[in-house]
Amino acid sequence: MKALSLYQDRGTVVHRVDSRSKLLYILSAILIPAVLPGFMPGLAMLALSILILATGKVFGKVLPLVGFSLLILASIVLIQGLFYSGNKQLLFSLWRFGFYREGLLFSGGICLRVMNILCAVSILVLTTRPSDLIESLVRLGLSPHLGYVLSSVLQIIPQMTATMETITDAQRSRGMETEGTLLVRMKAFLPLIGPVVMNSLVSTRERSLALEVRAFSARSKKTFLNPPQGGTANTVIPLVLLLAMAAAIVWRVMQ
Amino acid sequence: MKKITVSGLKYRYPLTEELALKGLSFEIEKGEFIGIIGQNLSGKSTLCQALMGLVPHFYKGGYGGSVWVDGLEVGKAEIHEIAQKVGLVFQNPFTQVSGSKMTVFEELAFGLENLGVAREDMAPRIEHAMELLGIGRFRDRNPFDLSGGQMQRMAIASVIAMEPEIIVLDEPTSQLDPQGAEDVFQAIEALSRRGMTVIMAEHKIEKIARYSDRVLLLHQGEMVAFDTPQQVFSRDDLERYGVVPPVFAQVCKGMGIRNPATGLYPMTLDEACDQVVNWHE
Amino acid sequence: MNKIEIRKLRFHYSAGEEILSDISLDFDARSTAIIGQNGAGKTTFVKLLKGLLQPVSGDVLIDGINTRDMTVAGLARHVGLVFQNPNDQIFKNKVLDEVMFGPSNIGQSPDEARASALAALQMVGLADKQAENPYDLSLSERKLISIASIVAMHTDIIIFDEPTIAQDHAGKERIKAIIRELAKQGKLVLTIIHDMDFVAETFERTLVFAEGKVLLDGPTREVYGLPGILKQSHLEPPHITQLYNRIGCQGAVLTVEEFIAARRAGTGRPPVSA
Ligand SMILES: Nc1ncnc2c1ncn2[C@@H]1O[C@H](COP(=O)(O)OP(=O)(O)OP(=O)(O)O)[C@@H](O)[C@H]1O
Ligand SMILES: Nc1ncnc2c1ncn2[C@@H]1O[C@H](COP(=O)(O)OP(=O)(O)OP(=O)(O)O)[C@@H](O)[C@H]1O
Ligand SMILES: [Mg+2]
Ligand SMILES: [Mg+2]
Repeated sequence: MKALSLYQDRGTVVHRVDSRSKLLYILSAILIPAVLPGFMPGLAMLALSILILATGKVFGKVLPLVGFSLLILASIVLIQGLFYSGNKQLLFSLWRFGFYREGLLFSGGICLRVMNILCAVSILVLTTRPSDLIESLVRLGLSPHLGYVLSSVLQIIPQMTATMETITDAQRSRGMETEGTLLVRMKAFLPLIGPVVMNSLVSTRERSLALEVRAFSARSKKTFLNPPQGGTANTVIPLVLLLAMAAAIVWRVMQ
Repeated sequence: MKKITVSGLKYRYPLTEELALKGLSFEIEKGEFIGIIGQNLSGKSTLCQALMGLVPHFYKGGYGGSVWVDGLEVGKAEIHEIAQKVGLVFQNPFTQVSGSKMTVFEELAFGLENLGVAREDMAPRIEHAMELLGIGRFRDRNPFDLSGGQMQRMAIASVIAMEPEIIVLDEPTSQLDPQGAEDVFQAIEALSRRGMTVIMAEHKIEKIARYSDRVLLLHQGEMVAFDTPQQVFSRDDLERYGVVPPVFAQVCKGMGIRNPATGLYPMTLDEACDQVVNWHE
Repeated sequence: MNKIEIRKLRFHYSAGEEILSDISLDFDARSTAIIGQNGAGKTTFVKLLKGLLQPVSGDVLIDGINTRDMTVAGLARHVGLVFQNPNDQIFKNKVLDEVMFGPSNIGQSPDEARASALAALQMVGLADKQAENPYDLSLSERKLISIASIVAMHTDIIIFDEPTIAQDHAGKERIKAIIRELAKQGKLVLTIIHDMDFVAETFERTLVFAEGKVLLDGPTREVYGLPGILKQSHLEPPHITQLYNRIGCQGAVLTVEEFIAARRAGTGRPPVSA
C-alpha cells in the first residue's frame, strides 16, 4: 500500500505555515469575494491562491482537479447561459441556441467561486501533512473522532487509488491484461469497482480495530507529539486574514 | 496477586452456530509469561481479543461468563478503559497501522497521544521501544513503505511504547527473521521480569518452551491444559490437539532420554544438550 | 536448462538507497529457499522476477524471456507468485471464484479452470470452504487460499513469499507436501521463508540474502554448516543443527532422525546423503 495522502512534501515556505492560517485562508477566499461586489475581488483572490500554490511547488497537482471540475462547470455555464430565469440580453447565438448575458455572468460567478474554493482548499490539502491538520483542528477543540473522520475523508481518494493498485497487481499477476490500449484498460477497470469497495470496507473495519486497541477513544485529554507551531508568521497571517475579512464586511455594511 | 481472572468464558461470533470459546476458566498472576498454543482455529486469537474486550464489544455476538483484568470487568467496561491497562498486538502486521501518521516515529506516538502522555515523556518511550525492536533507522519512513518484518516490529513497538500492564501478543514474530524473533522474545521476557504480564499466542513451540512460565493449550475453543511447558509438552496425547512437542523433546524421546530429576523429556536446547552429552546407549 | 537467469540486477525504490546491488544468479529446477534478515530485499527480489517491479539496471530472464519485453499478465503464464500478505492478493467474494481467476485468465477453459481450482483447494485442505467468502476466513485460511490460487495456474515456476505464516503444524506439513509434489513435477519452487526447520526439511538449495546481495548459495546442508555467516545475517541454523553443534559436532544435521542416527552411530559426523 502507498502513503495515504495527497500531501506533497516539498518543504517550501508555504509548507511551514501552520494549518490554522490555511484554514482561515479558505474562509477568506470564500467570504471576501462573496461580500464584495463584482468579479475583481474573486479574480484577485484566485490569482493570490495560484501564486501561493506555485510558491508551494504544488501547482501542477491542482491542474487535474481544476480540469475535472471545469468539465462540470462547463455544463453549468451552458445550462445557465441558455436557460437562466433572469436571461434578457442576448449576447450571441450558436446554431439555434441563444446565450444570454445574465446567465453567463451568473454562471461565471459560480465558476469563479468554485475555482476559488478549490484552489484555497488545495493549498491546505497539498501542503499540509494530514496529521498536522487534524492535530491543529483537535487543538482548536474539534472532537478527535470527527478529526479522524475528516482525515479519512481527505485520504479516501488516495486510499482508493492504493487499493486499486494493489488489486490491479493481484490481477495482472494472475494473467489479466491491464496494460496497453484504452480498451484493455477499460475492460480491466470495470471489474475493479466491486473489489475496491469491498476491500475498502474491510480495511476500514480492520483499521478501526487497530485504533481502538491504541486507546483512540480514550476520554482523557489527548496530548500531542509535536509542539504547536509558533513563530511570528503564524500569528501575523491569521491576524491579517481576520482584518481583511472584517474590513470587507465593514465596507459592505457601510454601503 | 491475580492479574487476570477468567471464569466460564463463552463466546460465539455473530451469524455462527458454534461457540468459538466454550467455557474457559483460568487465572494469571502479575508478571507471568503465558503461552497460548493450539492448532489453527482453536480460538487463540479469539481469546486474545477477549482479554482486550474487542470480544464482545467490537464484534458483538453471544457472550457468557466473565473476564476480569486488573480489577476491571471486561464485559462491562469500555474498550478505551481496558486499553489503558492492556495492549494487544494483532496477528496480521499489515492491518494495524493507524493510517493517520506519516512517519514511523509518529505512528509510535499515536497511542501515547491518545493516552494523554506528556509530550516530554513521549520521545524517550518511543526511542526505547524503537531500539528494542531495532527500527530506529526507519523513524522517518512512511509506515506503509516497510517490509513485512519491519512492519511487524513497528506494530510490537507501538504497543510496548504504551507501557501497558498487560500485553497480549497474537503470533507477534511470524514474519521476523530468526534473530529478530529471538530478540523479541528476550525483550518480552525482560518486560515480564519487570512485572508486565505477558500473554502470547504462538506456533513457535521451541520458543514457548524456552520462555513461557505456563502454557495454555486450546482445542476447539476448550482449554485442554494450563501448566508448565514441561508438563504440557510431555503429554502423550499432544498430537491429538494438532501440536508437536519441541524438536529437543522429540530427539530425547527418540533416544529414550528423560530428565532424571523430573522424569520428563528435556524441552530446551540447554537442557537437551546436558542430557544428550551424557547419554550412553 | 535454467528457468530463471538474472544478470547484474540492480534496484532501488528511491535513488541513493540501493535495495538490490548487482545480483547475478541462475535458477534450475531444484527447490530453493531464500532466507535473510528482515528488509534484506527478498520480497523486492521476487517482485522483480514477477515483473511487478522493473530493474533499475540489469536483466531478468524467465524461461528465456526478458521481463522488460513482456507484460506482467503475459509473464503470469510462466511464473506464479503467492504474495506475503494474503490481503494483497484476494479480491473475489467467493473462494472458488478467487482460485479460478488465475487459471481462467491464462487460457484454461471454464471446466479445466474449475477442475484445477478444486484440485488446488483439495491440496490445501479447504475444499469444503469453496462456497465461502474469503473475507470471513481466518488469516491462516486466507494464506492457504492464496496458495491454492497460484497452484491452480500450473505455472512452471512458483514463488511463495512466506507461505507458512500463521500455519499450525498440520498446515506446515501440508505446504511441505505441496512444495515437494510441485518439485517432483519438475517445477521450480522458490520460497522466501523465516522458518529454518522448514527449510532444512524441504529445500535442496538455499540462498542467503543480506543487504541486497546473495551472501551464500549452495545445498541446504552446506549453508547450515556455516553458523558464523548465518549469525552475521541475523539467521540461525535449524534447532536440530543447533543441538548438534552444541554437543560439539561439526556440520549440519537436518532432521531429528538424522540426529538420532548420527548419535547412535557414535560419531560426530552426519551421514553423507543429500
Ligand atoms: N470474525 C469472525 N467471525 C466469525 N467467526 C470467526 C471470526 N473470527 C474467528 N472465527 C471463528 O472462531 C473460531 C476460532 O478462531 P480463531 O481465529 O480464534 O482461531 P486461532 O486459534 O487464532 O487460529 P489461527 O491459528 O488460524 O490464528 C474459528 O472457528 C473461526 O472460524
Ligand atoms: N514501497 C517501498 N518504498 C520504499 N522502500 C521500501 C518499499 N518497500 C520496501 N522498502 C524497503 O526496501 C527494503 C527491502 O524490502 P523487502 O520488502 O524486499 O524486504 P524483505 O527481505 O522481504 O523483508 P521481510 O523479511 O521483512 O519481508 C526494506 O528496507 C524496506 O524498508
Ligand atoms: Mg489466530
Ligand atoms: Mg518480505
